[in-house]
Amino acid sequence: MAKPNDLVQGTLDLLILKTVSLEPKHGWAIAKRIQQISGEVLQVQQGSLYPALHRLEQKAWIKAKWMESETGRRAKFYCLTAAGRAQLVKEAENWNRLSAAINLAVQTT
Amino acid sequence: MLLAWRLWLRLRALFCRNRNDRLLDDEIQFHLDQQITEYVAAGMTRNEARHAAMRAFGNPTVLKEEVRDSWGWIWVEQIAQDLRYGARALAKNPGFAVTAVLAVALGIGVNTGIFSVLNGVALKLLPVPAANQMVSVDQILHGKFRRNVHGEPGLFSYSEYKDYRENNRVFSGLLAYAPFLGLVPLGGEKPRPLMGAETSCNFFDVLRERPALGREFVEADCSAPGASPVVVLSDELWRSRFGEDPQIVGTSISLNRTRFVVIGVAAPGFRGLDPWPSEFWVPVAMQKALEPDSDLLPEGNTGWLALLGRIRPGVSLEEIRANLGVIAGRIDQQYPGRTTSLAIHRATFLGRSEERSVVFGIGSVVLAAVGLVLLIACANVANLLLARASARQKEIAIRLSIGGSRWRIVRQLLAESLLIAFLGGTLGSIVVFWSVEGIARYLLAHLPPGVPRLVWDVSPDPYVWGYALVLTALTGIVFGLAPALHATRQDLSTAVKGNSAGFLGKTASGGMLRSTLVGVQAAVCMVLLIAAGLLMRGLYLTQTVDPGFEMKGITQARFDLSSAQGYNVARAQAFQREFIAHVEALPGVDEVEQARAMPLGHQFLGTELTPTGETELRQFEFNVVSPGFFAMLEMPIVRGRTFTEVATMADAAVLVVTESTARRLWPGRDAIGKTLRDEEKKEYRIVGVVKDSQVSHLGHSDGLFLYMPAGPKEQDVLQLLVHSKNNDVATINAIRESARALDPDLIVDVTRLEDNLELWRTPSRIVAVLSGVLGALALLLASIGVHGVVSYGVSQRIREIGVRMALGADGRDVMRVVLQQALWPVAIGGVIGIIVCAAVSQVLSDVLYGIGAHDPIAFIGVPVFLLATSFLASYAPARRASRLDPMEALRHE
Repeated sequence: MAKPNDLVQGTLDLLILKTVSLEPKHGWAIAKRIQQISGEVLQVQQGSLYPALHRLEQKAWIKAKWMESETGRRAKFYCLTAAGRAQLVKEAENWNRLSAAINLAVQTT
Repeated sequence: MLLAWRLWLRLRALFCRNRNDRLLDDEIQFHLDQQITEYVAAGMTRNEARHAAMRAFGNPTVLKEEVRDSWGWIWVEQIAQDLRYGARALAKNPGFAVTAVLAVALGIGVNTGIFSVLNGVALKLLPVPAANQMVSVDQILHGKFRRNVHGEPGLFSYSEYKDYRENNRVFSGLLAYAPFLGLVPLGGEKPRPLMGAETSCNFFDVLRERPALGREFVEADCSAPGASPVVVLSDELWRSRFGEDPQIVGTSISLNRTRFVVIGVAAPGFRGLDPWPSEFWVPVAMQKALEPDSDLLPEGNTGWLALLGRIRPGVSLEEIRANLGVIAGRIDQQYPGRTTSLAIHRATFLGRSEERSVVFGIGSVVLAAVGLVLLIACANVANLLLARASARQKEIAIRLSIGGSRWRIVRQLLAESLLIAFLGGTLGSIVVFWSVEGIARYLLAHLPPGVPRLVWDVSPDPYVWGYALVLTALTGIVFGLAPALHATRQDLSTAVKGNSAGFLGKTASGGMLRSTLVGVQAAVCMVLLIAAGLLMRGLYLTQTVDPGFEMKGITQARFDLSSAQGYNVARAQAFQREFIAHVEALPGVDEVEQARAMPLGHQFLGTELTPTGETELRQFEFNVVSPGFFAMLEMPIVRGRTFTEVATMADAAVLVVTESTARRLWPGRDAIGKTLRDEEKKEYRIVGVVKDSQVSHLGHSDGLFLYMPAGPKEQDVLQLLVHSKNNDVATINAIRESARALDPDLIVDVTRLEDNLELWRTPSRIVAVLSGVLGALALLLASIGVHGVVSYGVSQRIREIGVRMALGADGRDVMRVVLQQALWPVAIGGVIGIIVCAAVSQVLSDVLYGIGAHDPIAFIGVPVFLLATSFLASYAPARRASRLDPMEALRHE
């Protein structure tokens, strides 16, 4: 049986894009943020977070910058690019369609 | 824009890997520190917090791997890593590396060399501008109808050529030429035979070959038969014969005693469209002037022209086939019963189907043979790799048990074998590229006299490079994959414990696979060796064969008294009479005879006759000879008599037949007095039966063969046989001088009769030498293989041998066991090889003279030889095993 906090395949990208869409964040903060707003339901494993960040960076959907963090140390901050914003809209739509469809299927049976 | 950016990111990821690695470390460290701070804030001690953070984070190395993977260049890194590792492994074991690389170099080198020859002979496009637009058109005629052929059956008649040329919509130009217009004497001080071609007048235009001097043919040159006696010379002829005379254009030369005006000299390097270089070109309309015996131009149903077209831009081969097919169909309607199918290929030096099928047939057999040598080399290297992999069993087992993926390890082992393959392939190819032209030139220059001078450009081109590359890659995978898969499929726990000494009854790891490989080598080697053995036996027999008649002391004088040389029957009679008188008066000459075809001289005369009382026409070979012919060649008359002078002078209708002919036509009855009828119902009476001999084909004496008397009407086709007690060279020169005194323009070819054997022996000699070399290579590789496997087996079983000796086995027992184990796979492989060879040797029997495909000496001698060689190869390691000191062996780790 799957662990309850496992992310649905492919949704991690959407969550990351959504999280960095408001302001630049570093990896730890992104993980924390996802955990917080999901009401501690979604646990992001570091093992998948960092590869995902680097993958999105390679696709030019997010951009990395080294900046001072709140503690004063230099950290790698990720922010959304224009292409990333478009991708976010597309993935959000996809997600909405998919979840609505699943809801429908679950309720009608 | 986005794409460019992504590309930039990818490239940065590739070239700034080290910096990115460092930044990734920083990023991970930052994450951990953040987590620690949080845990400390929650009340843990710093130490506890650090451990907890590490635990929560997971394995940073795995994470880094995955992140690097996301950069998309992981495969480059891993391949580089694999190659570095492979190179280190090879450098650590130079003996193995050198053996393996040399084995591969041999295999690849031989294959690439043969392929580059085949490529030069059959695949290269013609050396003319835009050669990829040129196609050759060849026809195959089916059905029941009559067709005259002048050369090869696939050639076209002049009217057919004009039909295709005028009515096609696919060529920007279609040219025709008569191939094999051979040995046209060029008059002058020293008559010399030339090779040339009769061509359509658009020949140079279609080929886009501009002459270096003067002009090419124009359509007016072909307007009427015999109207325009003009000739274009080859650059080589112009240099060698006319001393590069810049004023040559406008002068006239004599070809076959007709005057031709030189209008141009072809560009250097242009040698016509045949594998042997043309030295001159004349318009097709001059055919009768060159060959007065035949008038081919008006003959609609005589094939003598080869066609080559230049494709109109944008037209496909399919369109050409369709368009020309329509024209062919129209021509077929003129000849009831005939159906034409056309063969259209990119133009090479082998344009015609018959030539292609012969060359491709031989080529594929040779390629198969060298492929087998490569296979042995592969099996060898695979075996060496396997042995090494077993030695590295422990290392591989450890890597597998700490989580290395099997695929990754297989890939690494493959990288190593590919490294070997590429080193070997490069070495072999470099040697070939550097030497193949020289070797080909040497061989072509040393063909026996009588074979046309061939010019083949075998220099390697991109096709050859590609072939070598693909072959090398395949080789690396073929010999690397099995050992790599085998090495990674093992019982981890035993391997890690290092139990490498297998006991009898339980074969050491990979033993089965190794034995199989040795067996394969033995089988393949056996096939090659038996083939080589059969061919060598064939060669031996042709060298020592007794053709059934005497050749010693006999000189042949060959000349052409046809109308092309300005002779008629009366002039020929006069010439022969005077020539014979001259030669008979030469010192040492005691006999002069006439014959139309020289024995074994590659002149085959055929006729159709019916034995009286039968209706079926039978094919006979024949010769026309003077009465003393049989006595001179020491061919005994077994029944009846030879021709008499009187009968000969009177052109009497009498025949002498061979024993086999008499036996086959009138079994159990006397042939003397029987008659044969020709198509005009003329009857010939048999007056004598002569013993069988191989006068026509070496190795064959049992065909239907008959002799006719050399009467006065035959004088223009007869040639001379001279028997002399003096030495050959003096006789040859004297005969030549006598001929020159009678007709200085006549080319008289005077040689020893024995020289005719040379041309018969050459093909089997070339094939025998080639197969002998390949067989020797195969044997060398196979014995290296056997030796390596046995040595390795002994080194792996030292402990076991120690135990056996401690339990009372003596050196001879040990040796017996080792040898037995070594020779079993060889024996099994050998038997398989023999069976395969027995099945395929029928193919070889076509090139073998006089022996069957199941020659017992080859089939028994070769296996014994192979077994003896394997025995020798395994003797040294076996001896080493038998001399082991049991105490030391038991302590051996």
